[in-house]
Parts: sequence; C-alpha cells; structure tokens
Amino acid sequence: MATRLKPVDAVTIGVGLTGSLAALELAKAGLKIVGLERGAARFTVPDFQSPPIHDELRFSIRKAMMQDNTKVAVTFRNDSNETALPIRRWESFLPGQGLGGSFVHWNGQSFRAQVADFIYKTHLEKRYGKKFLEACGPELIFQDWGVTYDELEPHFDRFEYLCGVSGTAGNIKGKIQPGGNPFEAPRAREYPNPALKEPYFGAIFRKGAESLGYHPYPQPSSNLSRPYTNPEGLSLQRCVFCGFCERYACEHFAKASPQTVILPALLNRPNYELRTNCEVLRINLDSTRRKATGVTYVDGAGNEFEQPAELVLITAFPLNNVRTLLLSGIGEPYDPRTGKGVVGRCYTYQTTGGPTVFMDESVNVNPFMSSGAPGTMIDDFGGDNFDHSGLDFVGGQYVGSIMTNGRPIEFHPTPPGTPTWGLEWKKAVARHYNHTILIQQHGTSTASRLNYLDLDPTYKDAWGQPLLRMTFDFPDNDIRMSQYIANKVVAIGRAMGGKTVVRGGTRKPYSTTFYQSTHNAGGAVMGDDPTTSAVNRYMQSWDVPNVFSLGASAFPQNITYNYSITIGALTYWALDAIKNQYLKAPGPLVQK
Amino acid sequence: MTAAPVNRLSLAVVVIGSFGLLGIAIAAAQTSPQGDPNRGAVVAAQGVPKAGVPACAQCHAYTGSSDGSGAFPRLAGQSAYYLGKELADYAGGVRSNAIMTPIAKGLGATERADVAAYYAEVKGPFLPLADVSSALFKRGEQLAKVGDESKGLQSCDNCHGPGGAGQPPAIPYLAGQYGPYIAMQLRMWQRGYRRNSDDAMAYIAKRLSDGDIDAVAAYFQQVRRADQLAQDSRK
Repeated sequence: MATRLKPVDAVTIGVGLTGSLAALELAKAGLKIVGLERGAARFTVPDFQSPPIHDELRFSIRKAMMQDNTKVAVTFRNDSNETALPIRRWESFLPGQGLGGSFVHWNGQSFRAQVADFIYKTHLEKRYGKKFLEACGPELIFQDWGVTYDELEPHFDRFEYLCGVSGTAGNIKGKIQPGGNPFEAPRAREYPNPALKEPYFGAIFRKGAESLGYHPYPQPSSNLSRPYTNPEGLSLQRCVFCGFCERYACEHFAKASPQTVILPALLNRPNYELRTNCEVLRINLDSTRRKATGVTYVDGAGNEFEQPAELVLITAFPLNNVRTLLLSGIGEPYDPRTGKGVVGRCYTYQTTGGPTVFMDESVNVNPFMSSGAPGTMIDDFGGDNFDHSGLDFVGGQYVGSIMTNGRPIEFHPTPPGTPTWGLEWKKAVARHYNHTILIQQHGTSTASRLNYLDLDPTYKDAWGQPLLRMTFDFPDNDIRMSQYIANKVVAIGRAMGGKTVVRGGTRKPYSTTFYQSTHNAGGAVMGDDPTTSAVNRYMQSWDVPNVFSLGASAFPQNITYNYSITIGALTYWALDAIKNQYLKAPGPLVQK
Repeated sequence: MTAAPVNRLSLAVVVIGSFGLLGIAIAAAQTSPQGDPNRGAVVAAQGVPKAGVPACAQCHAYTGSSDGSGAFPRLAGQSAYYLGKELADYAGGVRSNAIMTPIAKGLGATERADVAAYYAEVKGPFLPLADVSSALFKRGEQLAKVGDESKGLQSCDNCHGPGGAGQPPAIPYLAGQYGPYIAMQLRMWQRGYRRNSDDAMAYIAKRLSDGDIDAVAAYFQQVRRADQLAQDSRK
C-alpha cells in the first residue's frame, strides 16, 4: 500500500537536463517542486575525481553511468514480424542514470537545429514536391513541429549562454561570419565563448575539406575554451583535453552538465526537494482520465509512495518518457497496422558512421589529447543544405573529424586485412594508433510507419512492469542518403593525405551491438495535429493537460545534429509557456 | 595541456636517436632542443662565469634538493621539458623573478636545455622536515585528492597525477616539493604575478583561501612516491 505524501505543485520524473532545467524555472516562479531521480546523487567533487573517473573498464566498457538494465532494459527487434529480446548490454546507445542523467556523460557537442528542421514537411514539399517525397519511400512520415526556429531562437541563445558554449558564429542575424558555419541558422549574437583550439587531426581535415571547396568550421562545444560564469552565477573552468569525456563525467568543472550549470542554483532553494533512488512506476490519473493527480514511485528501500502534484513533468531519457506515457495510459498508443495512435509513433535514431583515414607514420595525431567536442566540421551535406533534386533521398549529415579520445581499450584502429588478434594485430595497432584519423558522418533519421515504440508483451522490469519494446530499422532512404555522402567523404580522406581510406556510411540492418549514437528521438512527438502528435507545440499532453513530456521524445523526426542544445531550447520554450500562460490558467495551451 | 605539444611517440624516437641507432631528425618535436645532461652538470656545478651566471648548485644544490629553506624549489627529477620551459619563460620575461630572470637570460638555449636535462636525471635526497599539524595535513590531503565542491575546486591530483607524482612532460610533480615554494607560487597565481601557464592555475588559486594554500603546501611537502621513499635522508 502506497504512503500518500503531502501534495506539491509540481513533480519531475527524472532529474537530468530537462528535469533540472524545468525545476529551476518553476522554482524561480515560486512553485514547490519535487524531483524524482531513479539513480543516485552524484557531484563533481567527490564523485567525478581522478584517477577513479578515468577507469575505462568501469565506465566505457561496463557502462557504470548508464541505466541499470538488470532492473529496467529495453527490448529490441528490427521489424514487427520478429520477437524482441532485451538489450542486456548497452552498446548502440547509452541512456544515463543518476543525478544529471545523460547530460553528465555527454560529449558536449553543441549544435542548434536548422530553420528547415522545424518545418520539415512544409519545407520539403515546397522545395521538391509531394511526389518526390513519396518516391523516397511510401512508409516515410514527414511532419512539422508546431514551433518555428524564430520562436526558439531566444531560447537557443539562453541555453547556449547557460552552458557557455564555445564556438565561432557562422551567421549572426543573417550576416555570414568568417570562420563559422555558413549553413547555420541565424543567431542573435556570437557564442558566449570562443571556439576550442583546433587539434592536429582537425587541422588536417580542414586542409583536405578546403581543398575540395567545402566550408570547415570549429565544432561548437560545451567543453569550455576559457573560464566562464553563466547567467545563473555558476562558474566553469576550461577544458584540459584529458580525453575522457563521453561516457565519463568531467572532473574539471569544464563541461556543461546539470552539476555545473544548473543544480547548484536549484538545490539550495527551499521550495525544491531532490529525491534520488526513486523509481517512478506511473502517473496517476483521476476518474475522468483527463487530469493527473500525481505519481507513484518506489524508493531505494522498496517502499511505495504516492506523490500528489498539480503538474507532472516527464523529464526522463526520451525512451523512458514514452514508456511512462504508455505505462500511465496517457494518449492513444500507436498501432502500426492502422497507423492510428500517437504514443510510440515516429521513433527515430541517427545515421552515423564515417571513414577511417590511415595516415603516414610521420603524421602524429595524438588522439589521446582531446575534448568531447574538438572537431573540425563541414555542414555542406547537412540536412537540406544541398539540392536533392535528381537524387533519390532526403536528409543529410554533417561531416567532421571529431576524435574524442585515444583510450587504450577502445581505440585501436587497424586497416582492412589485419588479423583481429595475435602478433600481427599488435604490430598493426602500434603502427596505426597515433597515425589514424577518424571522420564522423552524423545525420538525419527519417520517421517511418514501420518504426515505433510500445510495451513489450513478454519481458518485465524489476517492479513487474512491461519493458519498452523498440521496433526499428533504418529506412532505405536514410541508407541511400548516408551512402551518397560516404562517397563524397572518401575524397576528403584522400585529400587529407590518407594512405588508406576505409569508406564509411550507415548500413542495414540496424544493430544494437556497436556504438552509434545516444540520440534516440521521437515516440511522443510535438505538433499542431492531435491525430499525429502526442503533445502540442508546448510539449503538453493533448489528453492530460497537466502533464508535459519534455525532451527529444518530442522530435517528429531526427535532425542532422547532436540534439542536446535543441532539447535545452525546447525546454526553455515550454517552461516559458508554462510560467506565462499555463500557471495563470491551468488547462490546454492549445485547443484540440 | 594544449600548451604541451610534445607527444609520446616522438619522445620515444628521441631516446633511440640519442643512442646513435637512428639518425632521425626530430621533426615532430616542437620542444626546445634536447639537452646533454653531462654538459648540464657542469653548468649546475660551476655556472657560466663569462655570462655572469652563478652555479645552480648554490641554491638548488648539485643534487637538485635545493637548500631546504623552501625558498628555492626542488628540481630533482622534474621533467626536462618542464624545467626547460620555465627557464625559457624566465628568459623571455613570461615568468619573472629577480634572481632567475637574469640567470635564464645569461644561459643560451642549449645551456638551458642541458641543465634541464641534468636536473631531470638526478635523484636528490629529501631533506628532513618539521612536523605539521594533522588538521592542516588532512585539509591539504582533502584538497589534493578529492577537491572541494562548495568552492568549485577539483582535486590537484586530477592534473598533477596520483599523489602529486606529476604528469610529465608538461605538468610538474608536487610530491616532495617544498611547502613554502608551493604556497608562494599559489599566491603569485592568485594575485596575477605568475601567468606563464594556462589560466587553469590562476583560476584555481583564486578560489583557495590562505588556509587552503598553507594546507596544500604542507601536504605535498610530505608526500613521496613509493620509489622515492629510499631518497629520504632520515627515515
């Protein structure tokens, strides 16, 4: 029997990027808030200090910072004729667990989405026509987000200044800036900090890309280039290029994370209470099923509680946002046979995989000396930055040399034909370790009627609730897109002076057994039409207006770029509406 | 760390080259020239009289243990890269000290590299130390190994290596360094007089209280690497 607790104004399910950011905004507005986090509390000091934080076996291989999948896994299959099995080892994607969530172990790669991303359907139909899109694949789904880039720009700006993003602007108020990305959406002002220093591999990529007429620029980074105090009064230090960023927490106060840029301004407020080791089982609804009454959770000792709340914010990892909606019976679950229903619909991922460039022994790359976002990039193939007329796909990828580490267990590139073990393998590793440059292709994932999330009929979690089931494979459109760009990028590898260039590109079938991206998106998408979106343009549930589902679960299709900055901007956008509209007159912010 | 464009492989090449096995030019190394420790030993012992440079040994001792007052840093076993860079910074005016600046200016680039190579090699004894209060030591140990969340301070060992052993070539050891020297340098960074490293140290020093500085200095003075215990002059 659950113990009923004193009601509060708002509860967040998860205390990561969206959970801490939303709570800070509401706490400033005077609300009494409880943050429920299923993982443990953890802070830069003492939890992230070296040498323990540089334990590659513990963090990279055994995934110490990730969701405990002995308790709650995700099941996976490529198509709906197969039986899904639980993912027992996180490899393809790495959902975080613990205070700060995945925004602790992220790399700090800090892009904005583009103008066209938010009006994807409108933009593509206007430029290429409906027939073109139909030819790309009848199973594909294109949707607008219900919010435009111009509406989000102030929130992008605010979030970048919160994080202290280090970069070089490419477009300030429509004026193209030297040194930046000429394809980026117009920004109101320069980044808060200058770009990181360019590593040697980036300089080589820059030269190669420039020689082919492309437009290299420094990757925007939330690993800082200099000490910085953000508008919340919290200070960050500069990145020392230690090479332990993604999958790790920053020991230097140099990477934006809830611990560095949000939580210290939140945890000292008397109207905020953090409860860690608390697993939320469901959102409770009243008898009308149109109003949430709060949440039920289990604490670390196994005791069940009911926490009544006027406002429930689902602020978990995108996959867990969708699962929470499904477990709570909020919104109509998607049915792939009829195409009806919205929760679980439009699950998307990210197309990744670029070439490996093996250099001469005279080129010392020093990959161990790196930050999480040290790259030199080109956006010439990003999104819809190039004309797709005459091609057989939509979408695109950014391309860049982004080597985040040279860690000994994970990084040992060898050219094709090398044995995978033994003396010859060791010799090849020694030969190539310091003379190999990786190029990343990273891009759009188109939504498809065939790809979705639902509750698994067989497998349950430690509390007896169904696991989330993922049904996903890359649409052929996305494979054609990635392979087209792979052909172009091979030429960059050669222009860089590569002795051997191993072609990259995404391939089918999608496999969960090797790392690709932690940018799982969609499943509770935002939009203007309640028949094709689970939440409205403010990420408010169409069906239960005092529930908001914040984060990348709201993306109708996935964008070219690493998505954290766009999530931050969307969170500020939603909280702006909650503070200025919803709290004054609780109810639907958009009429059905 | 970006200020230290030395790489591990090129150093390996240099070692082989110094044995005359390979005539490889050190094309990739952007460091100062590789010094000769034997020539450096002469500079340490006798100085360069014609350039008005006194013997290093007068203050730093021939063994690199310095004189025990803590006014002069221990040099023994510090990386040649680091020592060479500090001398170059003194010579170029980036780091400033009434005694060291004219000395470094008097030495040529080759002599600076030589003497750096010499002091990197020697294993000077650790001189006897006065006891410190255990509260001071514990606070220093806390800052060194763990840091202080309330001040936004990471542990010293993050960069200076486990137990302050250093992360050569760029980052100096602190273990066994004289407390008064450590405290003095932290105060120099704090007040903007020392600026020859990345801004990391100034940022950190500004967050340390006077008590914190004394604690860190007292702690590192007492710490030894396992392989250095034998170098203690009194057990």
